[in-house]
Amino acid sequence: MRFMMLMIPAGYATAAAGTMPSAEAIAAMGKYNEALKEAGVLITLDGLHPPSMGARVSFPGGKPVVTDGPFAEAKEVLGGYWMIDVTCREEAIAWAKRCPASENEVIEIRQVMEMSDFPDDVQEAAAGSTELQGRPEH
Amino acid sequence: MRFMVIVKASKDSEAGVMPSTELIAAMGKFNAEMVKAGVMQAGEGLHPSSKGARLTYSGGRAGVRRGPFDLTNDLVSGFWLIETKSLDEAVDWMKRAPFDGGAEIEIRQVFSAEDFGEALTPELRDQEARLRAQTEKK
Repeated sequence: MRFMMLMIPAGYATAAAGTMPSAEAIAAMGKYNEALKEAGVLITLDGLHPPSMGARVSFPGGKPVVTDGPFAEAKEVLGGYWMIDVTCREEAIAWAKRCPASENEVIEIRQVMEMSDFPDDVQEAAAGSTELQGRPEH
Repeated sequence: MRFMVIVKASKDSEAGVMPSTELIAAMGKFNAEMVKAGVMQAGEGLHPSSKGARLTYSGGRAGVRRGPFDLTNDLVSGFWLIETKSLDEAVDWMKRAPFDGGAEIEIRQVFSAEDFGEALTPELRDQEARLRAQTEKK
């Protein structure tokens, strides 16, 4: 099963453009990432620039409206994610527990939908689009 | 530049209501266009937060809380990873996404090794490159 570990750092919602993690944090995370990789668990990972460098698009009445970051009403924003492949949620939790996260960080674990989770008619409608995702079904 | 497009959770996504066949077909078309243009790298949907967990870190220990989590505007239900020349181009692509009725997405730039400058020592840079090479093979 694939899971996303969503890193949610407190205060990142209002971080200035160009805010970067410290060299120490990068080194500690590098070790953790290495351990995930060694165990054959890691699929991919990324870090995200602060919301002040991003945008939101909402679709009231189906028409797109763009708002530039930072987003005043946002309390929790993503700082990055890992995509991992494990046998169950408990294993995902066990891995997240080992993360060298700081006290102002929360990791949210969410199961990724596989095409086999959808009913047959939906699978049919989506036929072909799983290949588009650039990764075979697990 | 790489961007993560974060799709926000809704009452339906949290209730485990699968998107309609029509919407999935429309998304499939939209995805196919992005793939054809060399823009889309990945796209996934997430199971409701009721199947997830959150971890907090304090004094070197991790505390675990099971989902569901409050449906705020910050809760995530899926994402794309796209590659475009600028945030504006990413926004232009996402304006075309077949969303409706108050749906909201957030576009965030992904960190690249170059962004870290000096903080990413040559050793860490090598480690990162090795990690990427191996995970991309998966």
